[in-house]
Amino acid sequence: MEYLIEFKEATYTYKSSFVDPVQALKQIDLRVKRGEFLAIIGPNGSGKSTLARHFNGLLTPTTGEVLIRGISTASSDPEQLKAIRRQVGMVFQNPDNQLISSIVEEDVAFGPENLGVPPKEIRRRVNHALAALNIFKYRRESISHLSEGQKQLVAIAGVLAMKPDCIVLDEPTALLDPFGRRQVLESLKKLNREEGIAVVFITHFMSEAVHFKRVAVMDQGEIKSDGPPDDIFTRTALLKAAGLDIPVSAQLAEELKGKGFPMAPGILHVEELVNSLCQLKSKI
Amino acid sequence: MELTKNLTLGIYFPGDTTLHCLDPRTKIAGTTGLITLLLFTNNYTAYTFFAAFALALILAAKIPLGFALRGLRPMLPFLAMMWLFQIFFQKPPGSEIIFSWWKLTATDGGLHMGTLMSIRVLLLFLLTTILTLTTSTVELTDGTEALLRPLQRLKVPAQELALTMVIALRFVPTLAEEAEKIIKAQTARGVDFGRGNFIQKIAQLFPVLLPLFINAFRRADEMITAMESRCYTGGTGRTKMKVLRMSKNDYYSWAVLLLFALMQIILIVKIAPPF
Repeated sequence: MEYLIEFKEATYTYKSSFVDPVQALKQIDLRVKRGEFLAIIGPNGSGKSTLARHFNGLLTPTTGEVLIRGISTASSDPEQLKAIRRQVGMVFQNPDNQLISSIVEEDVAFGPENLGVPPKEIRRRVNHALAALNIFKYRRESISHLSEGQKQLVAIAGVLAMKPDCIVLDEPTALLDPFGRRQVLESLKKLNREEGIAVVFITHFMSEAVHFKRVAVMDQGEIKSDGPPDDIFTRTALLKAAGLDIPVSAQLAEELKGKGFPMAPGILHVEELVNSLCQLKSKI
Repeated sequence: MELTKNLTLGIYFPGDTTLHCLDPRTKIAGTTGLITLLLFTNNYTAYTFFAAFALALILAAKIPLGFALRGLRPMLPFLAMMWLFQIFFQKPPGSEIIFSWWKLTATDGGLHMGTLMSIRVLLLFLLTTILTLTTSTVELTDGTEALLRPLQRLKVPAQELALTMVIALRFVPTLAEEAEKIIKAQTARGVDFGRGNFIQKIAQLFPVLLPLFINAFRRADEMITAMESRCYTGGTGRTKMKVLRMSKNDYYSWAVLLLFALMQIILIVKIAPPF
């Protein structure tokens, strides 16, 4: 089975002449398959953003290697680097600092324009990307008239128009309001489901990670644990050690279990908690 | 201080008239041509036709006349001053004194020169206003890029210049918003903007400009990373989503412009200036 993205014992050390070298990534082994829906969570300073920058060769590992469909990101061939960046699209935290044009559709066209795609095909891709993210009606709108959440959707559309196999998002919801967060998350779910695009979502919001099919926990430059969310979030000790919050529903279920209530295992979402509590009520 | 509200850069008046839909190259080159013509015009008859032509353009673009003329208002005090200077200090040979007051004498030649010059400046301003009202900033940059492209052989980086302009325009509202935020934050900390003498006022700018600059550099840094991630590697090998294409209407416009220019040239040559 060929992996889409493969980190092989990758380490990364920040070197500076002013301070001691800092090892931000330690022996990272991570594999992402086609169509995966993965969240990477970790507290501030855990190396999440450094990890993100390794996905498309913005940074290359000090030792070890990162392969995108078998091609090393350390490749010095600019065409190969271009191919890697087309396959692995990247969305950053601040939408204001990654949008190039003041008009929505012009910005979405920026990626395919750089790839030298013929004009008619660009138009087709731009329309498709805007429709897929439900922002087609804003295509002639000025970026400055959009909400932060909508701006982030434009940034995702700009990546989508390059026809990537995978989208990596580095804390894309950190600056958004709850509504914007939900919009971004729902759109990513849809892209993953309908277009089969792998999503790597880096965040420190536990409540968001719950929505993913696979969750990796990062702390102090290492991946501490990696698996399905109901497995990860019920390991409260591990999360607490990493300084992360446990989802409220999971924590409540855990504490009730501690008090001797027969709660269902692996509770993450509010609905699951409600269901379990209602069953409890009917038993009484 | 509401900076974002007073932004007049790229005052685009949306519409779908023929004038709006013309190729930006036609509009930019046409306006440049008309302005050149304007500089040679020197009699009232020619100016009357010119004003009628500008009026026709405004009506064709379905822009409310008041809206188009409002842009001229800040010019008026300067124009009035220029007009007075011309009346009193221009004395073309053969002109007669209309009246004199104290040490100043006004001549009819000066009056004509002042009036003609005022009309010229007003029309010049009006023509550029019509261009920016009917052409979005994106079209303007696209048009400029296309017009500059032949110069690329002379090592003029037309594509890069256009992209720089696109990004600059994109950041105007963002930075204005940020400046407003900083001003509010500094006011909350006790900086009293708009008080004090000239030097104190300049000193007040520093707590606004410094954070604004630092943030702008940070933004630029993130922008470069984002552009790199979106496969930008310079101007070569890029395509454009929008390909500029001259339509039938563009050719008609060129015909109209040429006819008008011809008529104006005849008027300029045949009618002597009024001084």
